[in-house]
Amino acid sequence: MSILRLSHVEVRVPDLELATAYYCEVVGMIETARESERVFLKCWDEHQHHSVVLTWAPTHGLNHFGFKVTDLEDLDLYAARLKEAGIDVTRHAPDEWAPGHGSSIRFTLPSGHTMELVHGMQQVGNLLPLTNPPPKPLNLVGIAPPRIDHLFLTAEDVGAMTDFLVDVLDFRVTEQVVGDDGFQIATWLEVSHASHDIALVTGPNGGLHHFAWAVEDWTAIRDAADICAYHGVRIETNPTRHGATRGHCLYFFDPVGNRNEVFTGGYWVDPDNEPTLWTEAEMGRALFWYDGVVNQRFLTVHT
Amino acid sequence: MGILRLGHVDVTVTDLDLATAYYTEVMGMIVTERDADSVYLKCWDEVDHHSLRLVYAPRIGMELMSFKVEHEDDLSDLENAVNRYGFPVQRISGGESVGQGESIRFATPSGHTMELVHDIEKVGGLLPKVNPAPFVTGVPGIAPPRMDHLLVTAEEVGEATTFYTNVLGFRVTEQLLDGNGHQIGTWMERSFSPHDLAVVAGPNGGLHHFAFWLDDWEAVRKAADTLAYNGIQIDVGPTRHGVTRGSTIYFFDPLGTRNEVFTGGYRPDPDFPTITWTEDNIGRAVFYYEGELNDRFMKVHT
Repeated sequence: MSILRLSHVEVRVPDLELATAYYCEVVGMIETARESERVFLKCWDEHQHHSVVLTWAPTHGLNHFGFKVTDLEDLDLYAARLKEAGIDVTRHAPDEWAPGHGSSIRFTLPSGHTMELVHGMQQVGNLLPLTNPPPKPLNLVGIAPPRIDHLFLTAEDVGAMTDFLVDVLDFRVTEQVVGDDGFQIATWLEVSHASHDIALVTGPNGGLHHFAWAVEDWTAIRDAADICAYHGVRIETNPTRHGATRGHCLYFFDPVGNRNEVFTGGYWVDPDNEPTLWTEAEMGRALFWYDGVVNQRFLTVHT
Repeated sequence: MGILRLGHVDVTVTDLDLATAYYTEVMGMIVTERDADSVYLKCWDEVDHHSLRLVYAPRIGMELMSFKVEHEDDLSDLENAVNRYGFPVQRISGGESVGQGESIRFATPSGHTMELVHDIEKVGGLLPKVNPAPFVTGVPGIAPPRMDHLLVTAEEVGEATTFYTNVLGFRVTEQLLDGNGHQIGTWMERSFSPHDLAVVAGPNGGLHHFAFWLDDWEAVRKAADTLAYNGIQIDVGPTRHGVTRGSTIYFFDPLGTRNEVFTGGYRPDPDFPTITWTEDNIGRAVFYYEGELNDRFMKVHT
């Protein structure tokens, strides 16, 4: 029927033990499987086998990201669409790539990122019973976000990539920063009726700016800052607010240099929503509403 | 494809001016249109023409619940599905209803009139589409950004739920079962939220409440302050639901229709495993902190 939401990200880490300790003890994810060079993690309210995969590598950065589709036939539908657009697609059987992983198709986007569409990932259940559950588990460790939310990538040609996601994969643009020369500097796109599931900003092809978890509210953003500071995690921005998406957020870095975010807020969008436009002069407020200036580190550091 | 979300609720009121004053000044909705017997209102972040219609009548109740569908041709697909179920469907042509184009209407097994519509007049939110602030100023009262869901009553919850799921494509996120395993409450969604429509045991055709969305628990607290300041009768809360996990306050508009402000919940995928509540846990299912229901909450509906 459609692409549903962000499913998972696979990030490279040069120190698997250190990264695992951080994602479990500070972020509060749960380890569901482990191999010699990979660790599989999920958030407490997620039912699926993994939403973050840490893969040992000499560098940091993004290996691939996956979106969940509603039905198995969606894989054929989008494989055909991608081939029509001149993109090579590989098909993967359940468990072929990783334990608990569903059926998937993989391809390289025009921006150089490896993307996957996945269906039927193993359901391992959240941390609550399915009969008379309490609203949340007690004794969660660390920030303990309920789920992964979105990711933000860098691309040389944001306009072309945005068109590709819209035309071939049925994403919808919610917001955009358009330069004085008329080119898109950054775009936010959704499939899940949220303010964004993926966003793009001008930068090198194949780059990961950050991936984000959803948290409940502004108080949870503050608590996340307390937890990051307590553990000596490098916080990039104070708890603040975006103009684009309206969300409240905190940015910080995992111990090997990948940028993380916790995010809350935003809005519901119908499919016929008219995108919001940010002009180049207001780009500072689009990114950080309170500060109102473009933070150079935020725009130049990516992995 | 199919039903997208709750569109608007049409309720009758015995005093149109009083109801309008409450929904604009206390709730913080915006009047988009008036005609001889009706006032049309929307929330500040809603783009569509209205999410609430107040209709003058000698008694209170719900005339209609209207859901928005994603595509134009969803109307004929769902019309056929309702016809196949054996219920007649009425086509309402564009221009017959204020603020929207062609729609279909039918009675449901729970005795409610349901409308499905795609083409709705867009009047826009209160924020500009170029360099907007992330919030509005100057909206009085509670000022929820949008309508969220409604809860109706039905004699046969199981039968009603079968209709909403099998015929209209709703998905059950949670259910409350009596000691015999029969459904006495069901919560259903189309918008990947814990519920867009819920049904509990009661008379056919009844409205238990409709609910507005708030940002977070802090906004729920502020809403309680606003309600108390304006002398509004609070039914229950601020508190939390076991079902849906939401944080909530129930209260009554000045004519007696129950309203709710709601936040929280979770994001179910279409393959979400249904959560079951047993009757011995009904108190915590509905009010997680209190652990018991009050008579008024159980018995009063419109």
